[in-house]
Amino acid sequence: MEQFEEKLAGILEVDELNDNDILEEFEEWDSLSILSIIALFNSEFGKTISVADVREAKTIGGLKKLIG
Amino acid sequence: MKFEFDNKRITGVLTVVPHNTVKFDDEISNYNFSEKQSKKLKLIMGYEEKRVAPKGVCSSDLCEYGMNYLFDNNLLKREEIDALILVTQSPDYFMPATSNILHGKLGLKKETFCIDISQGCSGFIIGLIQAFMLLEQKNINKVVLLNADVLSPKVSKRDRNSNPLIGDAASITIVEKSNKNEKIVADINFDGLNALCLNIPAGGFRMPSTMETAIIREDEAGNFRSLDNLVMKGDDVFNFVLNKVPEQIENLLSSNGVTKGEIDYFLCHQPNKFMLQKLADKLTISYEKLPNNIVENFGNASGVTIPTCISFNLNENLLNNEYKVCLSGFGIGLTWASMLINIGNFDFCKIIEY
Repeated sequence: MEQFEEKLAGILEVDELNDNDILEEFEEWDSLSILSIIALFNSEFGKTISVADVREAKTIGGLKKLIG
Repeated sequence: MKFEFDNKRITGVLTVVPHNTVKFDDEISNYNFSEKQSKKLKLIMGYEEKRVAPKGVCSSDLCEYGMNYLFDNNLLKREEIDALILVTQSPDYFMPATSNILHGKLGLKKETFCIDISQGCSGFIIGLIQAFMLLEQKNINKVVLLNADVLSPKVSKRDRNSNPLIGDAASITIVEKSNKNEKIVADINFDGLNALCLNIPAGGFRMPSTMETAIIREDEAGNFRSLDNLVMKGDDVFNFVLNKVPEQIENLLSSNGVTKGEIDYFLCHQPNKFMLQKLADKLTISYEKLPNNIVENFGNASGVTIPTCISFNLNENLLNNEYKVCLSGFGIGLTWASMLINIGNFDFCKIIEY
């Protein structure tokens, strides 16, 4: 999980993440960061998630819930 | 479906690319993205420049040019061609078949068997399978496989999903009977329920092109395109590739007792650098063994990317050496196809400009 958070912070180009952070409010939030997150889920957890899943997650905490 | 062939070989590959280059940087202003975002997109996806056919030039024109080059340089004789396979999704007309048009333009003999196959990203492997099946015939000794696509006119210039990567090209692959008893194996799968993940909605019989289908609209990601344009569900295609392709390749290798170490190169369809790096990671093979540099140099010309990868990265090394390779094409259809084959001792292997 720590490694996942570190990579997620890297994609969003921030030093720290909080569960309440809203995805759309990140300065680096765009279709490319969504694709990078989809790829991260596949490589880290072998999990398939869609663009819609990422958008509906809304927050960092919501993204973590997708890990299941 | 699993296929197995023996006593067949590829004896030459020629790739034809248009001389006209379009740079990613010159099209940044088309996209609904900041300059910083576009630079990041370029870096991650490996966009640099692509080859685009001049206005009015069709797939068949690139094929004709390449075939005449082979005739003029004594690398191929008209009368030797027993079958002509054209794999394209950008035919000259709905009817007749474009391979028939080429048959006339190239002055081929009346006995030459001609067929068009409408396939894209997996088109090189599907074409090879068709060529090998034809070579099982007593009277067919040499097959010319043409892969060609000029799809750039169908892509919206304001669609950063597709426009940065789609390029135009054609390739000519000569396939012949061989005395060398080497097994060629392939596996190909189809998922028709997701057939429209990559699609040009209008322009066929289902939805003819009209003034209405030409209207450009914005999608939820800020890309602009009309129903006449190519559209791709990028995330679905990405997930499909990472889930299905490594599994297919691993199974093909293990069921034939071949280890990854024995494969010299994994020569894959080239959608973008990012996807190919993720594919190599998942297969736990190095980026050197799975080249990913075709989109940055030429763009993605659908079924032509594997032959382009062969002629660009292995080129003259294929004249005197032989390699054990895994070919893999995946995408539109959805279709995914992989093949284990030895290639080398070619009569020619190069890229020419139209």
